[in-house]
Amino acid sequence: MRRPIGPHGLALTLTAAVVLGPARAGAQVTDEPNPVIFPDPAKFARGLYTEGELGSVILFGPAGGGKVGPGFAIGTRVGYDLTRFLAVQLHAMGSTHQTSFPGKPQDDQLLQLYQAVAEGKLTLRFGQSSIFAEGGIGLARLSSNLLATVMYQDGYLTRWRTGLTAGGGGGYDYHSLSRHLSFGLRGGYFWLRDISGSQDLTVTTYLRYTF
Amino acid sequence: MLGRVMLCASATLAVGCSALNEPIYIAAPAALEANDATPRVKGSIVLRFRQPTTDEQRKVDDQTAKLGFQVPWLRRDRIHLELLYTVSNVGGDPGTFAVGVDGASEMVKYDQDAVGQVFAAANEDPVLIPLMAPVPRTLGPGQMYQGTLREDDFLEGSLDLDAMGRWMAPFAAVLINRSDVNPIGLEMVPPNVVIPALQEVDVTLIASGAPMRCEFMVRVRDDDDQLLREAGDANLFVPTPAVFTPPAPPP
Repeated sequence: MRRPIGPHGLALTLTAAVVLGPARAGAQVTDEPNPVIFPDPAKFARGLYTEGELGSVILFGPAGGGKVGPGFAIGTRVGYDLTRFLAVQLHAMGSTHQTSFPGKPQDDQLLQLYQAVAEGKLTLRFGQSSIFAEGGIGLARLSSNLLATVMYQDGYLTRWRTGLTAGGGGGYDYHSLSRHLSFGLRGGYFWLRDISGSQDLTVTTYLRYTF
Repeated sequence: MLGRVMLCASATLAVGCSALNEPIYIAAPAALEANDATPRVKGSIVLRFRQPTTDEQRKVDDQTAKLGFQVPWLRRDRIHLELLYTVSNVGGDPGTFAVGVDGASEMVKYDQDAVGQVFAAANEDPVLIPLMAPVPRTLGPGQMYQGTLREDDFLEGSLDLDAMGRWMAPFAAVLINRSDVNPIGLEMVPPNVVIPALQEVDVTLIASGAPMRCEFMVRVRDDDDQLLREAGDANLFVPTPAVFTPPAPPP
């Protein structure tokens, strides 16, 4: 004959049911972890792009040496991604500089440098970040013949101020969560053959929009 | 969209800067050196312009016929000049210097020495007023001063020169007055006159107390590409301006 369950026995039974009950439920099926990293670089826009940039240009060589100060630069690029790694682009940039010729009338004058270059670009992407290298060839023009009036130790800066430029550089790009926008920092070094073989270093920050 | 806006802004800025600021600098052939023995020395920069093409000459002629007075080939509103100069005290004592600027358009040449000779011929004290003149300054030994006669100074100088040479303006009145403040003497100048630009800039350095050295150059913005780019003289525009002489003072 079964003995009736007392109050203590009832409480023990209910506690065991609450504690052990879920363990008796069947295991739930869950999805496998998504192998795609967020954000997916494959979803970033690719193809035609434009860039606007701001920065500085520093001259070296016959036009450098402190005679022409660092200048504020503004520029733009239009390019096309041929593959994930390779792009071609057209680059135009203008910078304005101030001269330093103490004791001469040429002191404190403004002059501008314009550069237009066709470039190739290689990109290596790591998620949202990428690094790139680029280089090209084009034309540079000094919008002044001021330097032609100043005899340099290394030679005479020509009055005719448009000529070949070539060079390259690289930078770092960070892609935003928008599929179109990225920004970054780049530097380049260019040879200005017809500005008496001077060189210029460009350092700019840019914003890119890919259509 | 943002990229497009930046592209357009950059392109506009680049084109705009290029069109607005393409200065050509022309240095003086030699520096001026004045001292106690020769306290007054003069140097010139003659700008080399090309001759007008047939079409350009026809436009000038048409405009001349339309307005009823001679329209210049070299116009003040198309050729913008500025003079840059530095003066150094190369002696061991303090001294004072003054710079005076005369010049010539394709029609009229103003030379303060020629004006002075008219007065001297009449046994009068010469009145030597340059076309443009910055303030005289004192420099200590070894000191240097850098100055500019700006484009608006040349606008005024060109107007004064034309008013004296072609429109019978009393020379002293127009030279000592800024026309935008006091247009005295300009009553005969037609309101639609086309003012000629200066094609010659003559700089006079006057030193006292110490030897002074002046280097100078002219900055030109040439809107219509009229400066002669070739080395030879085959296409050189050679004007023959009349030298301005004031009426002789009454005896």
